[in-house]
Amino acid sequence: MPFGSEGKLWKLSWPSPRLAQASVALATSDAPPDNASRWQRQLVMNALPLAMSLLLVGIATIGLLLISPLSPANLAPVVYLIPVMVAAARWGTWPAIVAAIASAAAADFFFYPPFYSFRLDDSQSVINLLVFLLVALISGDLTSRLRREMETLRRREDELQYLYGFSRRLAFCHTVTDLTGAIQDYLSETFGQHIAFFLPASVTASQPVIGCAAPAIIRDTATSMMEPGGAPSRTIKQEAGKGLWLLRSVVSGEATHGVIAVDIGGEPRAAIGERTRRFEAILTEASQTLQRLDIGGAMQEASHRSKDQLLRDAFHGDLSHELRSPLAAIRGSASVLEAMPSIRDENRAFPLVSTITNEAERLDSFIGNLLNATRVSASDLRPHLSCADPRDIVNAAIRRRARQLAAHDVKVGFDDDLPMVNVDSALAEEACGQLLENAAKYSPPGSAISVAVSAEGGHVILSISDSGAGITAEERAQLGRRSFRGARHRDVVPGAGLGFWIASTFVEANNGSIDIVSEGQGRGTTASIILPEARIDEDDAGSADE
Amino acid sequence: MTRVPPMSKPTNLVLLIDDEPKIRRFLRAGFELHGGFTVQEAEDAAEGLQAATFNAPDLIILDLALPDRRGNEVLDLIRSWSNVPIIVLSVEANEEEKVRLLEAGADDYVVKPFGIAELIARSHAALRRYFKSANENPVVVAGPLSIDLVNRTVLLNNVQIKLTRKQYRLLHVLATHLGLVVTHDQLLDDIWSASVRKNIQYLRILVRDLRQIIEPDPNHPRLLITESGVGYRLQARLEDITLA
Repeated sequence: MPFGSEGKLWKLSWPSPRLAQASVALATSDAPPDNASRWQRQLVMNALPLAMSLLLVGIATIGLLLISPLSPANLAPVVYLIPVMVAAARWGTWPAIVAAIASAAAADFFFYPPFYSFRLDDSQSVINLLVFLLVALISGDLTSRLRREMETLRRREDELQYLYGFSRRLAFCHTVTDLTGAIQDYLSETFGQHIAFFLPASVTASQPVIGCAAPAIIRDTATSMMEPGGAPSRTIKQEAGKGLWLLRSVVSGEATHGVIAVDIGGEPRAAIGERTRRFEAILTEASQTLQRLDIGGAMQEASHRSKDQLLRDAFHGDLSHELRSPLAAIRGSASVLEAMPSIRDENRAFPLVSTITNEAERLDSFIGNLLNATRVSASDLRPHLSCADPRDIVNAAIRRRARQLAAHDVKVGFDDDLPMVNVDSALAEEACGQLLENAAKYSPPGSAISVAVSAEGGHVILSISDSGAGITAEERAQLGRRSFRGARHRDVVPGAGLGFWIASTFVEANNGSIDIVSEGQGRGTTASIILPEARIDEDDAGSADE
Repeated sequence: MTRVPPMSKPTNLVLLIDDEPKIRRFLRAGFELHGGFTVQEAEDAAEGLQAATFNAPDLIILDLALPDRRGNEVLDLIRSWSNVPIIVLSVEANEEEKVRLLEAGADDYVVKPFGIAELIARSHAALRRYFKSANENPVVVAGPLSIDLVNRTVLLNNVQIKLTRKQYRLLHVLATHLGLVVTHDQLLDDIWSASVRKNIQYLRILVRDLRQIIEPDPNHPRLLITESGVGYRLQARLEDITLA
């Protein structure tokens, strides 16, 4: 599955208009006992700004009355603009309109003749008042719009701040748990504790939900959304006034990484639309950030890794113990029999006991190979590089593969004055052993396998040459792939095709490389392991020798 | 292998601590038939610790995977009051683990699956070292080599050879552990003074130089054996190498 730069990684999709309708439907379907208090609260919320606007108009009127000698009729329109603007700036359009109308009425009543009456005598006053009303309404509207813009900007800034913090935190995420934890923390910072993150069961079987205790219905819905073909988004309203849950799938390409559920609350009515909008805005931003950070790929990788981890843990722990314990009993028992004089001298029994020993050893080396393969696939190689003698590496590799090499004539040649190499000896030995085993497998019994060790330009080269099947150009291109085995050998040579793959990974872990040269089919192969020379401080070396 | 080197006691008592009855069965057969040992078995740590305390075994074979207690805890407990030779059995072939066990006081380790010959050879080596003080034979023989620990002289095929002080020191430490593995750190500590920065390169070069002198074929050592990632071992006799 393509990831990374190919785009369209993260899509958090939801149908906004339908959602808004659902929110309204929920608000009206609330139970009666709640209604009374709700109405009261609504009334207070809506009426208070209006009352405050009127109060401001009253204050302006009193101010004008106090300075009445200075022809307030001329001042009135200007002074009354103040409460209108303040109401618009603080409480929005409706309080501003109310303030404008009340101002016009008050001006008419107090400051335009005839005083203390709403009647107007001359047309000039009528025009004055109408112009004032018009100006007040327009400037009130403009001011309240400005206020909304500013609010949006401020909210936007907050969200950007969050997103910035979020993206910084994402940069430190290495596992699925980190990632979901970051998303969840971020959202719960915005929405309080009412948020849950559901992961597909295959990733963390024992822990399908992170976050608050979501009701069963939410969990069930989330599970159904994660199934193939599940809906990308759902809205679930709980019974009377308990809240409204929005559920969104987190998808990249074909894979569903999880479902985010947020309880945006059942009230007040106006807040539902607002919170829904916020949630969606935040998730849109989040998904863009995620896409930029290629979290889709990272999550996929983390999920693969955790599966490999399970396999590896199983193998390294119980499985290898369970497999090796019976083998140890078989191998050990056979070795006791083998050493008994009565068996040793019995021509028919002895070969049978030897077979048991050999086959038990073969099984053990196969288990060892599987262990190595799980280490490689779990990317769990932590080489301990240190100074080692290349001769030790080759000798140990040959000794370990003595059984597999028994049918071949192995010749080893070391150059004089070989330098030390800087490697993890265990990994280097295993890589060398794998190549020796391959050489033995793919060349006829009785033929020679020669190992030559030489130094060249800061490297030590271990070359293993056989006179066997050789490698065709086509096979060469596929070398290094896990489980690759040449088609022409599949039926004749036993094995799982893991050898070269393990060898090349182990050598790379040692900062080395493998070079394969073959004259072609049937003309033998030379595999060379190139390892970095250990840098030896000549002064230090002197103190070793004295 | 079936020949029993002379020991200070007529039969040695070996205590097997392993929870697998089938493993104990072949160990018992092997030790009785080929090692000339008297065998006692324990199936878990509790029983093993009790037997180690009351029966004074000459040698303990300790499996690391016991049902009731971690093997290395058992090792620590026994080591807190006894120097009895302990050989550890483990399915874990990890080098750091081996070094840890050796540093915790195990005399040697054998990785499962193994042949009985290997375990009995290690057992004899550990017993030889344990009884050394009683024996007081200052000459250690390793194949063609004979090392006189008192007079600090080394004979190779009965001809005295000249070694540098550090080469001799290396051979001396290995000879006092004949047949047993000695860790890199222990060798570095024993050969170089504390003021010298420990560097495994010194040891590698020293070993390479010593092999040039004592090994019949320095490219294929049969006396001074590398235990990769762990340390070195001086074999009691030239190791058989079937290949190369």
